[in-house]
Amino acid sequence: MVIRQLFVGFTCAIAVGTSSAAANESITYAGAGGGLAQVMKTVFDDPFAEQTGVAVNALATSDRVSALKAMQVAGRVTWDVSELNPIEYATASLSGWLQPLDWAVIDPLGVLPPEAKLPDAGIAATFSTVLAIRTDKLPEGKTMNSWADFWDVETFPGGRALQNQPIDNLEFALIADGVAPADVYSVLSTEEGQDRAFAKLDEIKPHITAWWTAGAQPVQLLSDGEVDYSSAWNGRITKLAEQGIPVEINWNGGGIKGSYVAIIKGSQKIKASQDYISFLMTDARRSAKFASMVPYPGMVNGLYEHLEADTGSNLPTHPDNVTAQFVTDAVFWGKNLSALKERWEDWILE
Amino acid sequence: MSKRIALLPGLAIICVMFLVPVGFVFQHGLFDPSFTTEHFTRFINRGAYMRIFWTTLQVSSVVALACLIIGYPIAYFIVRQPSRRRPMLIFLVLVPMWMSILSRTYAWMVVLGKEGIINQTLLWVGLIDEPLKLLFTTGAVYVSMIQIMLPILIVTCFSSMTEIDQSLMRSARIFGASPFKAFREVFLPLSLEGAITGTLIVFILSMGFFIVPALVGGRKDTMLANIISSQVSTGNWGFAAALSIVLLTATLLVMFAVRLFSSRFVHHQGETS
Repeated sequence: MVIRQLFVGFTCAIAVGTSSAAANESITYAGAGGGLAQVMKTVFDDPFAEQTGVAVNALATSDRVSALKAMQVAGRVTWDVSELNPIEYATASLSGWLQPLDWAVIDPLGVLPPEAKLPDAGIAATFSTVLAIRTDKLPEGKTMNSWADFWDVETFPGGRALQNQPIDNLEFALIADGVAPADVYSVLSTEEGQDRAFAKLDEIKPHITAWWTAGAQPVQLLSDGEVDYSSAWNGRITKLAEQGIPVEINWNGGGIKGSYVAIIKGSQKIKASQDYISFLMTDARRSAKFASMVPYPGMVNGLYEHLEADTGSNLPTHPDNVTAQFVTDAVFWGKNLSALKERWEDWILE
Repeated sequence: MSKRIALLPGLAIICVMFLVPVGFVFQHGLFDPSFTTEHFTRFINRGAYMRIFWTTLQVSSVVALACLIIGYPIAYFIVRQPSRRRPMLIFLVLVPMWMSILSRTYAWMVVLGKEGIINQTLLWVGLIDEPLKLLFTTGAVYVSMIQIMLPILIVTCFSSMTEIDQSLMRSARIFGASPFKAFREVFLPLSLEGAITGTLIVFILSMGFFIVPALVGGRKDTMLANIISSQVSTGNWGFAAALSIVLLTATLLVMFAVRLFSSRFVHHQGETS
């Protein structure tokens, strides 16, 4: 009896909790937390709340595919908008967990390029996996300028690191083998192309000191002198260079990726969520402010007009940097990740 | 009977917080959505996963045995000290456990790195001309894991050793046993149970390790838990659950085998044999 009363009380408490949350409207945003969330709060969340009256409850999340799957299985969706990396986006999209977006409402003035507007997500920010170089460790008078140079251990001796996963590395291997960045995925879609990538990776395998698994690792490896050259996320390297470590980004053959935002199917706050996505993506001035604080620029037209020249030149989508890179194909990886990951696991243990 | 009632709250917590979730894991591994052995077949048929499984068993066994060999004498040393000095010594053993595993692993990276303390010292002394590759090796995994696990073994051994009646050793000596014989015939059998328990705890904890091998190991030092975590994050819950069942079963089997085997050697105080 007591237990039952407690239970009823508990349920009421939940009900009261939910209804009061609905009264002063708020949306839940599943982001990365940390420094990024603080910048988002100043640039986007606080002004959005002021303008619309909708508060943004930003969560620090990781492992979002598991969380989304659990929500769909349990039938209780607790996030409205989620930030998703390319693989998370592809998985969520192919699994049907994302709400279709109405771009006529989000981008009525058409300030976003079509690549940024997917049926069930938008690309709110971009980052790139690039070649990071300790300039003080380079041989006298030489500069490492491509993945082919990274593979050239004769000219450029020294420790190297790559991420322990097939994504990016298969692309880098093909580019090192002479494939043009634009053709990477047409080659990689074939069995022979995949064999070619793994064969090229065989060449570099004995020279890789460390296979990193978290974005902070290449930063630490480079700054401790553990390795001289590594693949890394561009923003981390910009920050490391600011700390006085002689490290440089080479954009050639970098893999640009979207940071996607999407509304989770089952969210009860679709209108407020679409407004928030619009707020994140379509104001060039605000996006420029964000990009000047965190080197992960959005895709809105005219962004670079609001940025200082030397800030802009450090960003992956800057006209000078973008042409030499390829865009990581989220859909290709969504479809092929399982199989290629198995092959990768076999390969790495060989 | 009344004593057993005291166990009820604990049992209830174990049931709700542990057995039920483990039941869900079994359900995920075996039903997808109808009964299937597909995930287990995948585990057995893929050479890579079997190899990772053996690596996990091997690393955990070596770490557990190394902890026993290093930790048992330390516990014995502490227990033979005057009782007023023991708390300080045990305190020193426990201090490293206050630091998170992650910080201790990073500390090992500072020690073992290419420009780390060991290499710098050896280079400075002139013993080597090129830095040694110490980090990102299987050896680095062993060193870090043993250092992390050692306090657990020492404390377990120590607490069982303090319960041994020290006058038994003295009587053995009075009856003419050499110090070594007194230790071997009296102390060792009585302390064996604590030592085995400690070794098993270290083994069980090691079976689930994944941060240490990912940070200081080389490309071949992948443990089963690394694969489980990567399968969970890509949404392959069925396969992750199957791997967890394999890990759990293997751990339990090793535990029972060790218990069965060691029951012949373990003596309890007051037993006559």
